[in-house]
Amino acid sequence: MSVPIFILKRILQALPLLFIISVMSFTMLKLAPIDPLAHLRANPSISLSAIKAEEERLGLNKPAPVQYAIWITNLLQGDMGISTSGASVFVLLMQRAGNTLKLSALSILFTWLIAIPAGVAAAVDRGKFVDKMFGILTSVGMSMPTFLFALLLLMFALATHLLPIGGLTSSNYFELDTIHQILDELKHLIIPVTVLTFVSLAGIQRQMRANLLDVLRAEYVRTARAKGLSEHTVIYHHALRNAINPLITLLGFEFSSLLSGAALTETVLAYPGLGRLTLEGVLTKDMNLVMASLMLGAVMLIIGNLLADVLLKFVDPRITLE
Amino acid sequence: MESAVGIIEPVILKEPLRKTPWDRLWEDKLARFSLLILGLLYFCAAFSDPLTPYSMDFNDADVANAPPSIVHWHNVQGKIVNPYVLQVERTFNHETYQQSYTELAGSGYPLQLFIKGEPYKIFGIIPGDIHLFGVQNPGHLFLLGSDINGRDNFSRLFYGAQKSLTIGFLGLFIAFPIGIIYGGMSGFVGGAVDNAMMRVAEAIMSIPSFYLLIGLAAMLPPEMTSSQRFALITVILSFIGWAGLARVVRGMVLSIREEEFVQAARAAGMPEFFNVIKHVLPQTASFIIVAATLQVPSFILSESGLSFIGLGIQQPDASWGNMLKAALDNANELVDQPWLLAPGFLIFITILCFNNVGDVLRDVLDPKMQGR
Amino acid sequence: MAPIVVLSFLLTSCGSDKSNTNTTTVSTATTSTTATTNQTIPSTTATDSNDQGAAKEATRTGVIPTPTVEAAMSHIAKTPQPRPFKLIRASASTADKVIPEVDHQPIAEFWQARGEPGEFGGTFTVGAFGQGPKTFNKWQAADVESDGICQLMYEDLLAPDPWTGQYYPKLAKSFSISADKKEITFVLRKGLKWSDGHPLTADDVVFTFDTIVRKGYGNSSYRDVLSVHGKFPDVIKIDDLTVKFRTTVPFAPILNGLRVAIAPKHILEKLTKKPVAEFGKFWDVNTDLSTLVVSGPFKVSRYLPAQRVELTRNPNYSMVDSLGRRLPYLNRFDVSIVPDQPTEILKFYGNETDFLDIRAVRGSDAATMKKRETEGGFKMYNLGPDDGTMFIMFNMNRRKNPKGKYYVDPIKQKWFESRSFRQAVSHAINRKQIISNVLRGVGLPLYTAESPASIYVDKNLGGYAQDLVLAADLLATDGFVKKGEWLYDKDGHQVEFTLNTNAGNTTRDAVCVMVVNELKKLGIKANYQPIDFNILIDKVETSLDWQAVVMGLTGDKLEPYNGANIWKSNGRLHMFNQRLPAPDGSIPVTDARDFEIFIDQCFDKGATTFDPAERRKLFDAYQEVAYDELPFIYLYSTLDITAMKNKVGNYMPTPLGIWYTPKGSLHNIEEIYIKKAVH
Repeated sequence: MSVPIFILKRILQALPLLFIISVMSFTMLKLAPIDPLAHLRANPSISLSAIKAEEERLGLNKPAPVQYAIWITNLLQGDMGISTSGASVFVLLMQRAGNTLKLSALSILFTWLIAIPAGVAAAVDRGKFVDKMFGILTSVGMSMPTFLFALLLLMFALATHLLPIGGLTSSNYFELDTIHQILDELKHLIIPVTVLTFVSLAGIQRQMRANLLDVLRAEYVRTARAKGLSEHTVIYHHALRNAINPLITLLGFEFSSLLSGAALTETVLAYPGLGRLTLEGVLTKDMNLVMASLMLGAVMLIIGNLLADVLLKFVDPRITLE
Repeated sequence: MESAVGIIEPVILKEPLRKTPWDRLWEDKLARFSLLILGLLYFCAAFSDPLTPYSMDFNDADVANAPPSIVHWHNVQGKIVNPYVLQVERTFNHETYQQSYTELAGSGYPLQLFIKGEPYKIFGIIPGDIHLFGVQNPGHLFLLGSDINGRDNFSRLFYGAQKSLTIGFLGLFIAFPIGIIYGGMSGFVGGAVDNAMMRVAEAIMSIPSFYLLIGLAAMLPPEMTSSQRFALITVILSFIGWAGLARVVRGMVLSIREEEFVQAARAAGMPEFFNVIKHVLPQTASFIIVAATLQVPSFILSESGLSFIGLGIQQPDASWGNMLKAALDNANELVDQPWLLAPGFLIFITILCFNNVGDVLRDVLDPKMQGR
Repeated sequence: MAPIVVLSFLLTSCGSDKSNTNTTTVSTATTSTTATTNQTIPSTTATDSNDQGAAKEATRTGVIPTPTVEAAMSHIAKTPQPRPFKLIRASASTADKVIPEVDHQPIAEFWQARGEPGEFGGTFTVGAFGQGPKTFNKWQAADVESDGICQLMYEDLLAPDPWTGQYYPKLAKSFSISADKKEITFVLRKGLKWSDGHPLTADDVVFTFDTIVRKGYGNSSYRDVLSVHGKFPDVIKIDDLTVKFRTTVPFAPILNGLRVAIAPKHILEKLTKKPVAEFGKFWDVNTDLSTLVVSGPFKVSRYLPAQRVELTRNPNYSMVDSLGRRLPYLNRFDVSIVPDQPTEILKFYGNETDFLDIRAVRGSDAATMKKRETEGGFKMYNLGPDDGTMFIMFNMNRRKNPKGKYYVDPIKQKWFESRSFRQAVSHAINRKQIISNVLRGVGLPLYTAESPASIYVDKNLGGYAQDLVLAADLLATDGFVKKGEWLYDKDGHQVEFTLNTNAGNTTRDAVCVMVVNELKKLGIKANYQPIDFNILIDKVETSLDWQAVVMGLTGDKLEPYNGANIWKSNGRLHMFNQRLPAPDGSIPVTDARDFEIFIDQCFDKGATTFDPAERRKLFDAYQEVAYDELPFIYLYSTLDITAMKNKVGNYMPTPLGIWYTPKGSLHNIEEIYIKKAVH
């Protein structure tokens, strides 16, 4: 099957999937016994008519299937609706998307930059000190609740006064020149990127290590060794390339996580990302916002998977697309 | 739990002809150490009542938010005596807002082993009232301080372990059968049904799991007893876990159906369904064991995440997640009260151990996946 | 604007309740009980009810406020009261300084601020936890965060004095109330300008009240606060600077109700010709901020969602300092948006913010914070008890739901109906212990409907310590008997009910646990069940399916009538006996209890009485009835604490001068400045 047809087919397959996801998410959110207007209702200074008006504005006075129909009709026309705050959901998502993209892209970059060499080092020195050290390090990363780790780093920042306590920009950000603006953002990104990198290190490092070990056991590597090539040449010229290929699939997953945000980390670190937005949305039952966010996550995942398959085809022409 | 208990039994030292996977697991130092720690944790959870000085709900509102009790080894003359704690009194200073606990002079309350205390029932059956250690009333022994209700943090860590450590396994018992049956059915029936079933599974996998988790947790009906809530949180956690497994099992079923020995059995007239069950289950067993070991920590982490945003196990029940949340509510004071981070430390240790065991187990059971 | 409930973040504060001797308390409590048992329902005239109140006062002379309350109150920060504002006449000014009046030049009138001369420039940053503002449209804002930020941008005709609580003219130069109390006339200051240079005149005032408020643009609550018996006051323009408000009957809370930000007619008028929904979208958070036109000291100039709101100085602001220089001093006022309260404190410790307002400092934070005072270069201010109240209430609803079933099981109805039962619960609660545990001592026990912070609190109503013996006696008077461990009513039913509060709130959770424990000592079985905040509100307001609830409400330090929504039988938050609105929105009342009718009368008369002494009597009377009947069993008030960096000048917090964060206790925000020398 040629690549364009494959992509087309996958997109067509994705449509019913997206429909199921939207129905499931909508039902789930609707079933949650949360009243988005509870804070208004509990407020002695807000009058009944004000609450009625708000219900009308958000369409909460209509039956759930009607609300879903309205939502999906609007979505098909490219309108994601308004959030409970009255702002356009699209605008809200766009405001945060950039920040989340910065955070995830940097985290993914650092994860790969560290994990690949670490995986190689661990495979090469299998069972020795380096391997064990990375093993422990990645296990530690995997075993720590992210919010706790983020909080400990905040404490560190407070104790040393070296790093800012959360947020993304300093107060004087807009008075700075471009270079200093970038530096300012980078300074704020150190803690969140560290957290996310540390947490996701394990997956890729271990995959890399395992792949390389697999390859090193393979027939052709034995042949290369038998030919008397140096271990260095064997590993870095022959084995490595083949060991990295399967990681392409992971790259697809990483892509899909670009916009899903890390809700807890973002919340603890006061980071203005999509994750925090969505979390707040779920907790206050901001239907349009959460639906848009979940659909965005699903679409990204589908694209990510597709991307992985296509990339895999490019790096390894033997693979057939079905 | 069974696995852990099974492992604690002394292993026969005679070198067997062919090492069982358990032997090889046990041989790995890290795995053995991890298993021992897990065994200890589960033992503590199971026998919380006799091991801790107080029950989960014990509270003395007069000594809330107390720092860890100071255990004295020396008497007033400086002579070494039986360890004892002193009675404390709470004072408040309007100027500094400082609430402090000062020890009152007096003979104190010696620490006693096997002391008679609150009655309890282990596993809800075995009654008793002997606690491993403690002090006589009205003395208080709070090794990790007390919480806002004057409950003993140390004891509650044990009761919290009951929830946090079992939630992972209970989740497995729900998620895995569903995943296996769903995936097996899908693979077995095939065709349009398979297609539809897989779309649903994919849909669940396509919703970012954390949002799915909080969305579902928010759905929980409000009027539930704590045990119902615990059960439903478990169900929700397992709801996240089953879809991925179903997909893998389906793939396995599909491929195994084509294997020669299955074809042969079919030719021999064995009913298709039993055929698949009989051959598929053993084939998938090792995968499932490994997946299970690695799934437990993710359930524990998820529960702590849910608790962090207030949707997990609710007070007055203790779970490590909600105890950690109570600590983080006062994050700005943790520097002064580092002992409040103990539940976080235990979560960390537990998951680390599970991951270690899971890694080694995978190496042992599935040589092809070695090291992953 | 009136109180906004802080149910979800009522968390805090300071002070303590070292117990008074038990003997005093017993006698106290007993007198109050006997007094109430004989209570007769007051006749309809105000004077009669006042006599009733006075009579009760006499029986309460034994009541002494607990000494520890005084101890706690004595630590409240006292900022000396400055001289009154001075009106400065000047020629139209240059941007930075007003030039004294010269002939033939247009005249402008400025209020002269009262603090020390400060330094211009600098950025002042405060933290605010939450999701950030939802709109910059002051008249649309319904949540505290949006309204708080808008309070920095818009001014009202009048404002309460932070020291006395009396109203003084703000945008106005003066106001007067007619002899029949039905007319209030405001005279605006000359030369007032919007931030875009457009003059601010009587037309803007008339537009604000007659169009935006009366027609219900944005948050229609302003209209309801101002309406007397459903009728909105007439707003009459006399000349360019004079506006008259006329009500059909005298309405005392009108001054409070007139605290509405004046809107720029030249900008908003075109919107009022479009559908109402258009108004809601105007000046939302995504608007082009350069289009904002304001009258207050600051204007939002940049909004970074989930990060920061940046406000810059309004050069046309109509106040000057003692040297005649245009205020405000600050160049920028930043509101840093953080997700939760601990992070806000960490940012303050990390020198990223300059100020922690009352919402940010909880009782449990106070001690640690105090220790850091010197090292952190800041000072903490104790502003006394908060206007918020925390209470436990029972569902005293006696009606049936639309399906014909009682909202409350008739067996339980009898218990909740019993005043002795409610009084027993109140006496069984150990408020001192609750404060020690939940607020780490930083709070005050509460017994009255108005918080001790209110200028209307009835000082004759004293406190009492926990007294289980008295509580048991009270129960016995109504036929409750303790058999073995549990209590039974006179018909032999075991006394058992469900106690709800909102889940995930450690503080309330602890309160409930303690209440349950104490009630158990009386044999009352309270089944504690935390539920989601939303559900709690739904139960209390709509489904009415609940038995006992612990929750909190904000109050008002200046105007008790703002509690009308809660206290009047047809109130939207008359929670202990909530009635559901009819389809037309009105709430019919047919079965009010005598004490509810009495309180209704107190509020109705309080609304039409202008004389402060008379009003005090009426509101004392309602507090006394509430004190005896205990529809709400009050638990505690937190103490308001703020922390300000030493580099900030002119901070003059007072217990009464508190607005929503970020303005908060910065009532003189225009004078706040950053001391450069300290930098």
